[in-house]
Amino acid sequence: MNDQILIDQAKARLGEKVLEITNPAPRRIFIRVKVDDLLAAVGWLKNELGFTHLATISGVDLGQAFELLYHFANNFTCVTLRTDIARDNPLLPSICEIIPGAVLYERELQDMFGIVVQNIPDGRPLVLPDDWPAGNYPLRKDWKYERPPEVIPGGKK
Amino acid sequence: MKFQIPIGPQHPALKEPISLRMTVEGEIIRDADLRLGYNHRGLEKLAEQKTWIQNIYLTERICGICSHSHTTCYVQGVEKLMELEPPRRGLYIRTLVAELERVHSHLLWLGVAGHEAGFDSFFMYTWRDREIVMDILETISGNRVHYGINTIGGVRRDLDEQQVKHILDSLAILRQRSEYYQHLGTNEPSFVARLAGVGYLSREDAIALCAVGPTLRASGVPMDVRKDDPYAVYAEVPFEVCTADTCDVLGRTVVRIKELFQCYNIIEYLLKNLPSGPVAVRAPRRAKPNEVVSRYEAPRGENIHYIKSNGTDKPERLKVRAPTLGNYAATLKMLKNGFIADVPLIFAAIDPCICCAERAVSLVDARSGQEKIISMNALKQLSRQVAAGNARKREAEWPL
Repeated sequence: MNDQILIDQAKARLGEKVLEITNPAPRRIFIRVKVDDLLAAVGWLKNELGFTHLATISGVDLGQAFELLYHFANNFTCVTLRTDIARDNPLLPSICEIIPGAVLYERELQDMFGIVVQNIPDGRPLVLPDDWPAGNYPLRKDWKYERPPEVIPGGKK
Repeated sequence: MKFQIPIGPQHPALKEPISLRMTVEGEIIRDADLRLGYNHRGLEKLAEQKTWIQNIYLTERICGICSHSHTTCYVQGVEKLMELEPPRRGLYIRTLVAELERVHSHLLWLGVAGHEAGFDSFFMYTWRDREIVMDILETISGNRVHYGINTIGGVRRDLDEQQVKHILDSLAILRQRSEYYQHLGTNEPSFVARLAGVGYLSREDAIALCAVGPTLRASGVPMDVRKDDPYAVYAEVPFEVCTADTCDVLGRTVVRIKELFQCYNIIEYLLKNLPSGPVAVRAPRRAKPNEVVSRYEAPRGENIHYIKSNGTDKPERLKVRAPTLGNYAATLKMLKNGFIADVPLIFAAIDPCICCAERAVSLVDARSGQEKIISMNALKQLSRQVAAGNARKREAEWPL
């Protein structure tokens, strides 16, 4: 399977669901889909083309929206599914039904970007500590770290 | 009757902080749960505030064992963004260091496996021989752990004839020793009996849970980024992808021992075919707005970096997925229906590289058996409250 066959198949099978396909380098294919078509596209990649390995999910804060990139790989090439969700209503469907190994990456997205992953089998915090203040999402661009002032117990004399 | 046993974040059986919570029935683990975050360093956020060059040294510090993996993965991505073509000699040296790193990581792991299985002389032997490869790395780069050899556009140090001879001589010793370990590891009955059948992960589960590296290959799936998606000079180096089909800790040991021999062959090939010429090209300070997915086969498995540039001298986003995170879901599966005594062995078998776990204390009320998680700050407050209420004993005497 080479890149061109895969691009042709994507156009044939997904049709209008594909918004954009780019192939900037050998073995790197980027496919943009709408968030509503994400599950269909993931299912197509896994069941028909055998992309069983999800390498990771990357989130990017674009300012107005969040961009999610699902990096899939098999023995021949590496496909990245790309989708956007609105920043003021960050809802994302979970793909754990199709790829069970995605759960840790989705939990990380919830912690770091404040994205709400719907139907996630296990939605507890993963990487942030338990006493992390609510509503703080470190990888959003407008989040800045401020070191809390150090308090000496009993006060300085 | 079911009990919950917390292991970690700090525990003598585990070398790095990981927090596992196991539900056990007698000696058998029925359910396992994992909590990361004990040691989360916010490195992806920090990378957005550093320049392209500074980030090489930042990514190097993601891990102490596979430091070269992260820099290579990062650097080859940035080279694509900057449209640079590193010279072939530079790529050969980069690959050479990568394979030497794999040798030292696998020898380290073999030692840890021996130690966890209660075979401590094996541990001491392999770690003694690991010093040989550490010395080679020191002669090449000047450092034993963070080699600092990669730079954008090539490598920072060249090799001379004397170094090549030194590496080849040391390699002969390593090869001979590894043959002995292979013999020992596969013929010592108590060692084999300890590893066989422990931490079973079927081929289907390994694929479904997106396991990577030797864990995946030991379940009979021949996936190796060096072969599937050749980077650096792997396209022209002959080697084989090593697999095993026993799906247990023994299989993972066999895969790593086989890979050691492949590494020696690759290193020998690289040194005998080392092209001449420069080792690096000059890199610009900025990168045009673009994005790149960079993959690398680290000793522990697939390492992936997603890098996005925005036209400045700093990245817009650097996403790092280290191989250990990819293996966690599979590890929880392996732990289920195993014994408590197998936990360190199963856990060590994925070769974990942890910067994770939990930042809270779990308190159990001894009378009601009720458990509650309390944060460190709340605990401090509590202790201050109690201390403030106590009458101070001014004239307390030392009892002895």
